[in-house]
This record gives sequence, C-alpha cells and structure tokens, in this order.
Amino acid sequence: MTERILEKEGVVVRHSLLERVEHWTVALSGLVLLLTGLFELPIARRYFITELPGFGWSGDYITSLKIHYAASTVFIAAGVFHLVYHGLLRHDGMMPRKGDIRASVEVIRSFFGKGEEPPFDKYLPEQRFAYAGMAFIVALLILSGLVKTWKNLFDPQLSPPLVMTATWVHNGAFILFILAFAAHLGALILKPNRPLVRSIFTGSVRLDYARKRHPLWVQRLETKRPEGTPGAKEQDGRVPENT
Amino acid sequence: MSESPKISRRGFLKMAGGAALAAGAGLPRIAEAGEPRGFATLIDISRCDGCPVCERPLCVSACRDLYLSRVPEPVRPIPKLFPRGKIEDWSDRKHVSDRLTPYNRIYVQKASVSENGETRELFIPRRCMHCDHPACATLCPFSANQKYGNGAVVIDPDLCFGGAKCRDLCPWAIPQRQSGIGIYLHILPTLAGNGVLFKCDLCYERITKNERPGCVDACPRDVMTFGSRQDIFSEAERRAAETGAFIYGKTENGGTSTLYLSPVPFDRLNESIQKGPGRPHLDPVKPRMAETETLGKALLLSPLAGAAAAWLGVAVTASGKDGKTGGD
Repeated sequence: MTERILEKEGVVVRHSLLERVEHWTVALSGLVLLLTGLFELPIARRYFITELPGFGWSGDYITSLKIHYAASTVFIAAGVFHLVYHGLLRHDGMMPRKGDIRASVEVIRSFFGKGEEPPFDKYLPEQRFAYAGMAFIVALLILSGLVKTWKNLFDPQLSPPLVMTATWVHNGAFILFILAFAAHLGALILKPNRPLVRSIFTGSVRLDYARKRHPLWVQRLETKRPEGTPGAKEQDGRVPENT
Repeated sequence: MSESPKISRRGFLKMAGGAALAAGAGLPRIAEAGEPRGFATLIDISRCDGCPVCERPLCVSACRDLYLSRVPEPVRPIPKLFPRGKIEDWSDRKHVSDRLTPYNRIYVQKASVSENGETRELFIPRRCMHCDHPACATLCPFSANQKYGNGAVVIDPDLCFGGAKCRDLCPWAIPQRQSGIGIYLHILPTLAGNGVLFKCDLCYERITKNERPGCVDACPRDVMTFGSRQDIFSEAERRAAETGAFIYGKTENGGTSTLYLSPVPFDRLNESIQKGPGRPHLDPVKPRMAETETLGKALLLSPLAGAAAAWLGVAVTASGKDGKTGGD
C-alpha cells in the first residue's frame, strides 16, 4: 500500500500495513523487553510484584531471561528487517535533515503557544530527530545484548572488560530507552499531534488535518496525480519536496 | 596466570566465530566454544579431620586472616530496606565460623555416616564451587560478579549493590550479604540495593601471583589440591578409580572448578549434614541456565532472520509497482 490521498474517504494513507506491522512488532516486543529487563533486577519480590495476579513468574530470573530472549529475537529480527528493507529501498523520509534540531525547538515552542508551526512535510522535524535517537539507542541495546547473550551461552570467561562494557552500555541504553519510550507516548498527549495517532492503527490520517498541518506532504502527493484531477490545480506553482 | 584486561587472541577468535555465524556457519555447541579454563581444586574429604584440636579448622582461620578485615564497617544505623525493612547485619557476629557469612567464606561441615555397623565422621570444607557456567556471575545486572580466565568467580565489592540476585541464582546459596556498606548507600539506600555480597574469590590476588589459595596452603593434611583444571580433573579420576571414591562437582550445575572426593556416596552425606542458610547442601544440581540455551541461540540468529526477510520483502516489492511505501 503506497501513501496516497483518498479524496472520497477524506483521508491520506500515511502508513502501509507492513509499516504498521513493523511498528507494533517493535513496540510490543520492546515493551516485553522493558518489563523483563526490569525483572532481571532484584525488584519483583522486594516490591511485591510477584504477588500481583499473573506476575508470579516475575521473581524467577531464569523465566524472565527466557521471555527476554524470546522477545529479543522478535525485536532484533524486526529491527534488522526495518534497517535492511527500508535501507535497500532508500526510504529516507525519516532520516534527520540539516536544520531539524532548530526546527524541532520551534515546533516544541509552538506546542506551548509560543510562535506558529511551520508547514510540515510528512514528518515533523522532531519526529525525524527522535527517530534517529531511538535508532541509536536500539542499536546500542542490540549490540550490547548480543555480546551478553554470547557470553551467557558460550563463554562465561569472556574478557571481563568487554563484559563490563557490554553490561553498562546495555544498562545505560535501557534507561535511555525508557525515557525515549516515555517521550514518544508523551508526544501523543499533545493536542496538535493527536490526529496522527489513528494512522498507526488504521494507516491513514484525516485529509483536512493533513492539508492544514502537512501541506508540503499533500502537495507532493497531489503533484504525482495526473493533471486535471481535483486538488492538483490549487497546488500549482509550489515546488514539490523530494523525499 | 595473570588476567589480561585486553581481548585475548582466543577471545578475538571466538568473536570472529560469532561473526561467522552471520555467514550461516551455525552455532557451536556449548562444549565446543568457551571451554572452561584456569584452575581447579580437589577436596578429598577422606583426608579431612576437621582440625579437632584447633579453635577453628585451619583452612577457615587462614581465610578469616586474609578476608575478615576486608569487610568495611557498616554505617549506623543501617538504612531500612523499603518496603520490607529487611537488612542482614553480621558485623556483630564476626566470630561465627560454623556457616558461611560475609566474614566467614569457608567453613567445615560435619557428617556422621553409618558404615558396616560403625559410625564414621566425615568433614567437608565448603565454599564457592566456582562454577563453569555461573548464573550468579553471568546474570549479575551490573557485572559486579564475573568469571575470570583463571577459573575464579569474583564479586567486586565496589560495584555490588547487594540485591542478592547471585545468592538467589546460586544452587547452593553461597554468597552472603552484609547490609550498610557499598555503593548503594550513595544512590538510593532505602529503595535499591541492600549492601554487598561476599563469598570465596579463590584468593584471586594470590593465584595471580602464582600462590595457592590460603585455605589450600593452611591445610596440614593436604585435603585440598590446587592446580590446573586438567591436572586436577585427571587426579580426581585417578583417585576415584583407585579407591572407589565418589565425585561431586564435576557435573553439578553444568560443571564446576571444585571437585569433592568422598569415600561414601554424596546422597548419604547430604542426609547427614546440617543444611540451611549459609550451610549448603550436597544435592545433585541441574544447570538452570541450560533452560535458556535454545532461546538464546534463536536470539543470536535473529539478525540473520531479519535480514533474510528484508531481502525477500525487497524482492517482492521490486516485483510490484514502484516500491515506495513511505519510509517510516
């Protein structure tokens, strides 16, 4: 499914089914990883989590590790799929661009009533910035996790400095992952972003919303249309953005 | 004998082996990669008399001389653990030597076994087994506990938060906690951590200087033999074959660096010894880490699976219209 305007339905297709499956696979496995990662700390029994219905297993480190491994398998496969698939197809719409940091500051200020939002393409500048940040955190988690797993399975006597580095990179990235996850959810609470939420479930956003907030994106999509179709004429004279 | 902080050639080759996995070479069996190396100890309990004329067995005294003063004095009052309030304070019971404590990292168990109508007393020095695949070390969330190339499993007291995960994971519950000391006091003393865990470190500093562990040196009856893993295992097999003795520690928890040799079966010893906190059993032990092997191997192969699926996806997409799906 390609991104496109469905005039009759009054929506713009923003996420393909594949992209939504990728997102939810990473999100749900990431959530399981976050939880089982926490349960690898000695907290479940101390804080009575083991006494919550359905959480009796949380105090058993080996059970938590097995679930952590299973979720990691899904998470890593999905992450590598995302990287290779979209990399080979040169899908670079979410890659940060020059000026994204300054633009992100302006956009965030506008959320709090200071200044006006600039017209957006498909993605907001801070979305691209956040994407790169999350990708970096995930890369750290995956690489350090692979070293730790190799050590657990095959070589407990692996070089202690290497093990120590992998452990603390994993722990540090884990904290960053929790913060990034919270920021990601927090962004959805902001009113201007709420119309975007439906897309990650249904694949589309409202056309009137897209025209108002993402005019550069709509313009790009409309200029792809054959001449004379409704909506294309009014965009005449605009330069399409190449993404 | 000393530890190199750098990645050894062998370690590098193992990492290269990991890279070979990505090329589809397949995962090695645990027995083939990361074979246990370093030192081992043979404890022949037929030779131990428990040092009947001494205040304490000499191996215990030697260990205490080396390590008792290394435990810092805890802060007073020791912060109460939230929400359970439980702390473990041995600082006013440093003299205890009939079980494992933070101040007493080896002790001698006594067993009375009936044989041919006679009761025979046997004495068993107990301390950390220095397992080949120690879950206590591999799963320490801060890598405060690590397995070194010389075979020693060592807790770094400067990094330990005292959560006692290692004790929970140890089949013999060897590590012992002293609350009120350690790094947790400087972070969230009531909310996270609870002291430092202590256990035998195989006299790590001594063995890196080509010396034997203190307990081994102190024994006047040569109960303990310390040497290269290969030599110790051969010697244990030789003595067992010669005398019909039984071996404990060779397969327990997936293998350890401490082999016990007993003239009577270990299940009979186990029935006789006093067991409980700080007093480990002699049961057979299955390695729980082995339960995670299949899923762990799947994890290591998952990058390959993801990449293969992506290539397949690209091929399918390329055979379609334009391949553009938005790039999210």
